[in-house]
Amino acid sequence: MHAVETLNLSKKYGKTDALRGLNFEVEEGEIMVILGPNGSGKTTLLMILCTILKPTSGIAKVVGIDVAKEGTKVREVMGIAFQEARGFWRHKPSSILRFHASMFDIDPTKRQDLIDQTMKDLELWESRDKLFMHLSGGQAKRLETAKVLVQRPKLAIFDEPTSQVDLRGKRKIWDKIKELRNQGSTIIVATNEVREAEYLADRVTILHQGQRVVCDTIPHLKDAIAGGDVVEVDFEDPVSARLSEELKSLGGSVALSPQGNQMRAMVSRAEDWVPKMTSASYNQGAKISSIKITEPSLDDVFMQFTGTTLEDKP
Amino acid sequence: MSELSRLFHVARADFSYFFRTKWLMAVLISLSVSDMLVTALVYRGLMNFDYFRFLVPGIVVAGLFSAATDTGRRIWLALREGVVQYYMTLPIRTSGLVVAYILSGGLGGIVYSSFLLVIALAVVPHQGIVNALLIIPFMFVLSTGIAGLSAFLASISRRGEIYWVYAQGLQVSMVTISTVFYPAQTIEGFLPGPVATIARYNPLSLAAGALRDSGFGGNPLDLSVLGTLLAASLPLAVSGALAYWVILRTIRLRGKP
Repeated sequence: MHAVETLNLSKKYGKTDALRGLNFEVEEGEIMVILGPNGSGKTTLLMILCTILKPTSGIAKVVGIDVAKEGTKVREVMGIAFQEARGFWRHKPSSILRFHASMFDIDPTKRQDLIDQTMKDLELWESRDKLFMHLSGGQAKRLETAKVLVQRPKLAIFDEPTSQVDLRGKRKIWDKIKELRNQGSTIIVATNEVREAEYLADRVTILHQGQRVVCDTIPHLKDAIAGGDVVEVDFEDPVSARLSEELKSLGGSVALSPQGNQMRAMVSRAEDWVPKMTSASYNQGAKISSIKITEPSLDDVFMQFTGTTLEDKP
Repeated sequence: MSELSRLFHVARADFSYFFRTKWLMAVLISLSVSDMLVTALVYRGLMNFDYFRFLVPGIVVAGLFSAATDTGRRIWLALREGVVQYYMTLPIRTSGLVVAYILSGGLGGIVYSSFLLVIALAVVPHQGIVNALLIIPFMFVLSTGIAGLSAFLASISRRGEIYWVYAQGLQVSMVTISTVFYPAQTIEGFLPGPVATIARYNPLSLAAGALRDSGFGGNPLDLSVLGTLLAASLPLAVSGALAYWVILRTIRLRGKP
């Protein structure tokens, strides 16, 4: 049995298709990262899994329970940290966490210790006497994560867990999410941040325009890119049209910067391609100032499979 | 934890929210107490003590009305700030959430008006304190009814200002066309017959009348009045609950209220 499974899942808002026949599985105990730009259907999928939204058609199951038919049972095993923090405005963080913990039957004898520890771990301890409405965006976001960490659900969902959080805070949240997985939870993280996906993911699902484009481990996704190496070349001056054509004819996928003096090429073997490129550049009189060879990023993977970048509108 | 205890838990969280709005509470209490003071001190030369005795139970009921309508404000805020979506991820049925809100609205109204009742019992001679205590459960049902009405108004309000307009409209119509501040004979003398009939059977009038006659006057409780009070309040609570349930269902279908 999958921890999460959807079959032909669709959701329409009026005439807009947010999800279009989505098939998606998450295995028990893994961290599945859903990667996609804004509007790709990530949040809609999560809202359906946590039973806030009803699907227009198709099936979604959490630990084998149909979310549309047995919502209350699903909610007993699932916890979500929303993209926009949601809390009682006039309550303090610890009382928000106490309410949440009691709704999910967290052992009363351990409840307060767990809440205190989680607040310390997520650097909320100093803000424990502030009302929710006086927390900064980052603090409210951390409190949102803290709810799920205190709850320790079978399925934990995080929707862009580190947006508005500073760099140090991001790493702390990521480590706590991994810790939660190690304690036995299955995790879904929706994000459009490549670094977050690379740090957390056991597997990545790329969503684009409400459909699953691909799902695999990060190494497999990177291997699946035509080529496999990324070569970034800086020229001292803009490259001539002739040289540009010649470089493109060497194979791989070559893109020039708008200024014309930086080039990014995805090639199958950098060790074969770079000598040809340097030789062609020398013959055309173009001076190279630097060459950098890297493996493709998830951005490249996304570009390869969708033809667009994570920053682009869907 | 059972469904019922979760329901009470949500109701308690919302109920405590009412009392966390300190400035609103201060405004409500000062309005109610100043009504009593103005009548007692400023109008002392113009009116006799009988009117003060008549007015004070009315103020207790008007206070219940104001506190119970705060439910609508809280629902409106929860809908717009997304707290409702958080509630919808908790292991409790949609119907449980609805009942919790109506229950907490009822509690807010009754706890607040009980404070006023204590003040009223201190400033007005009374002969039926036990009767007054026996009326409280009926006032609780009235409070849930008003909470239901305000939940209905919150559910149909797209903007905060619109909710306030509806709430004020409700207050003006329900309190004005009632015997909370003036006796039925006064209404009959100035307004058409049907309006006087509405005022007589207005649940606020029934509650104020029961408090005056039995709580302060010492007359035996009139069960027919209390029965009518229940019959008038329950449909309001049910219609409000239904409206709120429809809103939650709409969120599940459309993603927004």
